[in-house]
Amino acid sequence: MSKAGSSASETEVTWEDQQNINKFGRLNNRLHEVEDEIKIAKETNESLEDAGNELILTDEDTVRFQIGEVFAHVPKEEVESRIEEMTEKTSKNLVKLEEEKESIVAQMAALKKILYGKFKDSINLEED
Amino acid sequence: MSTSASLTERRGIPAASFVEDVQTYLSQLNLDVNSALAFLQERLQQYRVVEMKLLAQQRDLQAKIPDIEKCLDVVATLQSKKGTGEELIADFEVSEGIYSRACIEEAESVCLWLGANVMLDYSCEEATVLLEKNLENAKASLEVLLADLQFLRDQVTITQVTIARVYNWDVHQRRLRQAVATPSES
Repeated sequence: MSKAGSSASETEVTWEDQQNINKFGRLNNRLHEVEDEIKIAKETNESLEDAGNELILTDEDTVRFQIGEVFAHVPKEEVESRIEEMTEKTSKNLVKLEEEKESIVAQMAALKKILYGKFKDSINLEED
Repeated sequence: MSTSASLTERRGIPAASFVEDVQTYLSQLNLDVNSALAFLQERLQQYRVVEMKLLAQQRDLQAKIPDIEKCLDVVATLQSKKGTGEELIADFEVSEGIYSRACIEEAESVCLWLGANVMLDYSCEEATVLLEKNLENAKASLEVLLADLQFLRDQVTITQVTIARVYNWDVHQRRLRQAVATPSES
């Protein structure tokens, strides 16, 4: 993302402008991080759902459930409740991340308005 | 007069001073435009080097944290089995693709790998305490690191904007000089 001016206009950059530009940069970085985290959370949710489905289909009473680096033999019911717990945790996290993403996008839109308002063509805030 | 950021440096990273007016900045530094641009570009390079280092540290910490959480999980599981008389049967990897079965009865203690070829025996409770402390430290270090990265990226942005402004100021000056040098054209 480029923020450098390109025309030879004489609009002065104040410390407040610089701080806005800095904030925009930081928000943009955080946005990419949050988007990656959302992707991972969605994939985890999917995996947990698949695991849950497999569990329903299996006729064994003991399931090998991964704890740390080993696969412990755990009774089916306990595995079910563990998976439920994990799914809830991931879903809550996902909701939190989506909310953060919305907030960031809104803040960035507001900053864009301010910066484009002052600098017009001298500044580029788009993703290249 | 160029006003600097509220910090002049953070943990060894020098802050980029904000330039109020390009002309004043250049005369203060007593540099011509090209030297100033070269100086700023070099600063930018130095920032990039530090950024690489911090990003590597961040990756290490972000890998360490889930590892510690896994260990805590295992210790908690062992502890929950204690006193029930039940044994924990676990399949573990002996070598890549080869697994074997272990039967763990009444886990009195666990061995924790402390690094540097040292492994110590701990009771489950002590192990939990130690692991939780390590987890806390790792998370705290990560927070400090992320704040460092944010500060660094701000300085990079300030430097990039300063470079653009010095360059534009130079272009503007050249245009003015040209206009003055050829008055017959107006």
